[in-house]
Amino acid sequence: MLITQIKPEEEILPKISLKRLFIIECPGCEEVYFPAEDVERFINRLKEEIIGRVSLDYLCNREFVKEYLRYYSKKIEEAEAVLVFSCGVGVQIVSSLLEDKPVYTACDTLYLKGFQGLRVQDFDCDQCGECYLNYTGGICPLTNCPKGLLNGACGGAKDGKCEVDPEADCAWILIYERLKKSGKLGILKKVLSPRNYQKIITESLSREEVKR
Amino acid sequence: MGEVNLVDYTKFRLKPAEEIREVFKGVGKIFILYCRKCYKKFEEDRVEEFDELLDILGEDSQKIVGSLGVDFLCNDFLSKKKISSLDLSICDSVGVISCGLGVQFVAQTLEGELVYTLADSLPQSGNSTSEVGYHGISLEKEKCCGCSQCYLNLTGGICPLINCPKGLLNGPCGGAKNGKCEVNPDLDCAWEKIYERVKKQGRKLILESPQIRDYSKPPLKLQKDLSLQNQTFRDESFYGGFHPLEKKEETEEKRVESFPEPKIVTIFLSQHTGKKAKPLVKPGDKIRVGQKIGEADGFISSPVHSSISGKVISLKEEIHPLSLKKDLAVTVENDGENKFDSSIKPGKDFENLPKDGLLKMIREKGIVGLGGAMFPTYVKLSPPKPIDTLIINGCECEPYLNSDNRMMIEHPKEIFTGISIVEKILGVKKIFIGVEDNKLEALTILKSSPHKSSSVEVASLKTKYPQGAEKMLIKRITGREVPEKGLPLDVGVIVLNVATVFAIYEAIMKGIPLIQRVVTVSGDGAIKPGNYLMKMGTPFKEIVEYSFGNKGEELFKEYELKMGGPLMGTSQLSLNSGIIKGTTGLTLLRKFPVEASEERECIRCGRCVEVCPMELYPLYYAFYGKRGEWEKGIEYQVENCIECGCCEFICSSKISLLGFIKKEKEYAHNSNKA
Repeated sequence: MLITQIKPEEEILPKISLKRLFIIECPGCEEVYFPAEDVERFINRLKEEIIGRVSLDYLCNREFVKEYLRYYSKKIEEAEAVLVFSCGVGVQIVSSLLEDKPVYTACDTLYLKGFQGLRVQDFDCDQCGECYLNYTGGICPLTNCPKGLLNGACGGAKDGKCEVDPEADCAWILIYERLKKSGKLGILKKVLSPRNYQKIITESLSREEVKR
Repeated sequence: MGEVNLVDYTKFRLKPAEEIREVFKGVGKIFILYCRKCYKKFEEDRVEEFDELLDILGEDSQKIVGSLGVDFLCNDFLSKKKISSLDLSICDSVGVISCGLGVQFVAQTLEGELVYTLADSLPQSGNSTSEVGYHGISLEKEKCCGCSQCYLNLTGGICPLINCPKGLLNGPCGGAKNGKCEVNPDLDCAWEKIYERVKKQGRKLILESPQIRDYSKPPLKLQKDLSLQNQTFRDESFYGGFHPLEKKEETEEKRVESFPEPKIVTIFLSQHTGKKAKPLVKPGDKIRVGQKIGEADGFISSPVHSSISGKVISLKEEIHPLSLKKDLAVTVENDGENKFDSSIKPGKDFENLPKDGLLKMIREKGIVGLGGAMFPTYVKLSPPKPIDTLIINGCECEPYLNSDNRMMIEHPKEIFTGISIVEKILGVKKIFIGVEDNKLEALTILKSSPHKSSSVEVASLKTKYPQGAEKMLIKRITGREVPEKGLPLDVGVIVLNVATVFAIYEAIMKGIPLIQRVVTVSGDGAIKPGNYLMKMGTPFKEIVEYSFGNKGEELFKEYELKMGGPLMGTSQLSLNSGIIKGTTGLTLLRKFPVEASEERECIRCGRCVEVCPMELYPLYYAFYGKRGEWEKGIEYQVENCIECGCCEFICSSKISLLGFIKKEKEYAHNSNKA
């Protein structure tokens, strides 16, 4: 799941054609986050130029969007551009289905820890493809250490806090403490091999193949 | 519609065999937890990775002393409960098959235990520059890496970060051959696609200034704040539930008015849980307001009274607005004289009446729970177990509805007197009135009312659906959890709706049986929305004509008429039914303009699990329901479902979960009997 934020008006307004807009909002990730008030404010600024506005859920579902667009096709034809309020996935789907119509987004998309699964969490998984958790007491050094160090602390931590983000705990100190608790400090003697970035490409491509 | 291609976004796979054998060398006795996966087509209820593990281990699999498959292992709230109920004392380590989230969660929960991961996460980005790519809720191939500086306005809606392996932001690298990428010849060059797309749109590729990705975005602080905000918002008061659009503004400030005198009324003999009342009248009889027309039949039953005076014109079956099945009803023609029955006499001071006398009156006056469930109140007030707490439910968490809200605003004195009557019957020490914090006026009035006794506490609750469900309310106010298949009285609590308390007041103090109630009429296209005092049996036809315009049955083409609110209400099939004791509102909803042409397949997105306030796993009800395996519902505790509709509302595949749930509940009910 992804979270959206409204782009600053000065960034978006000059870049898009502002005549005869058709607006699509996606509150699909209900309960996750949809900046409804900001959207309202933004749309109010454009009021004069809006020829249609609909709220349709799950814009990330191509089949749904196809039906939505078919239903609203007349209105969309009249529009000069379509402005979408959704995460990057929704915008990409809408614009791939309306190839000859400029489709703009008013949102920036960001990701919160834990949304790889179900809920916002204090920890995250970065899909590295070579899980290190057996050597780190179940605390991920890639997502918890801003530097993503695999073989111990950088030495920059002060009072257990990270030098990049002083509000965050140093991941490697947490790892040390966790291993100490289970009496497995010896694990730290193992040198982890450098991260294999190739995996990101090969494994995710094989996923696409599985599908087709 | 053709076969829909869904990408399998399984998040993990088993680690290579050598690595697993290596881990098992250092293991004595191990317990295996495995995640049942998310974001893939839900085709079979089996996790092959566990079987694969056994194959790899061969003899070593004897080291496995137990295993448990958990749905959505990363759901910390539910999984923690499951994990802490396990007896792990016999094993020296725990192995986890899941993505990194599940493993980290288990390691955190079982701190001090040895937790091994037996799986690697599966990368999704397909791109070396942005390490991650996130899919949406649906399983399409489009992805987003959450860069928080969206470039799609410049690139015609094709993301260069995800689609170009080099993640170039300012045009192609020049290495493409015949439109194919030089990094991976299977891929189209993203920048060529961007060029074509923008050209089709009749635009020029605007590159007036070079784009540089800002890697400090999104700021850590912002991410943290949003995470915290999301976590607190989601977990307010109780697990699950959601925040629907309230849409209460329309009738929030409308005073309760009397609805115009109905020409006829259709009064059902079954307006309560339990056995239908026995009719006491026949066609042709002249009857008066408040006259008993149906006698309670058995302990769990309730009498029914006439709401108008006039002539009984028929005693025949009509469509019941709740069960939607044919049920016996008395139809009375109004003579407009409003002559009261001789049985209606103002009561004596309730203080001087014995407890039994009060209970008898509540039964005789046909009082039932007005929140919608219509359980006979006198049965509820004769609990077989000790009760120490009474909760008055004024949450009204359903969107659109305001009938309880208006009662609290306009009749605090009557409500507090009603509470005193119940207090006397039950002899309870602690009384709470639970009101959601979106009803500020009601909260202020109740808190400052001179009629409030010191034993009553007004509790302001966070607004979240379904806060008004008994079990949520009890948990939130007393911290007690009603056991599975249990009743509130199992934890010493009785919950009554505010409207029920008002009806008790009317019955005891004025001698008026339950012949009228406040109903909120509102919704899309309402001409005269409002909160109306309606006589039982007022036909929907008359209400629709009055409040929604003269549309007749045509109405059903464009709208859905629900008795109750949009979430728990019953969709009406005809306008011939009438108001019953459990009618909290009549809501007109414009049908969603685009009907999903077919039901989509479950993709295990887990959203239903995330919103279920009863902590169930609704996806299985649809999965087994579609196969007709109704008995499986029992295994997944379908009997605990309160039919709040959260799962159906949120379902990303628009599956009618409640339909399956109702059938499975019926099956469970029947098999319990047998």
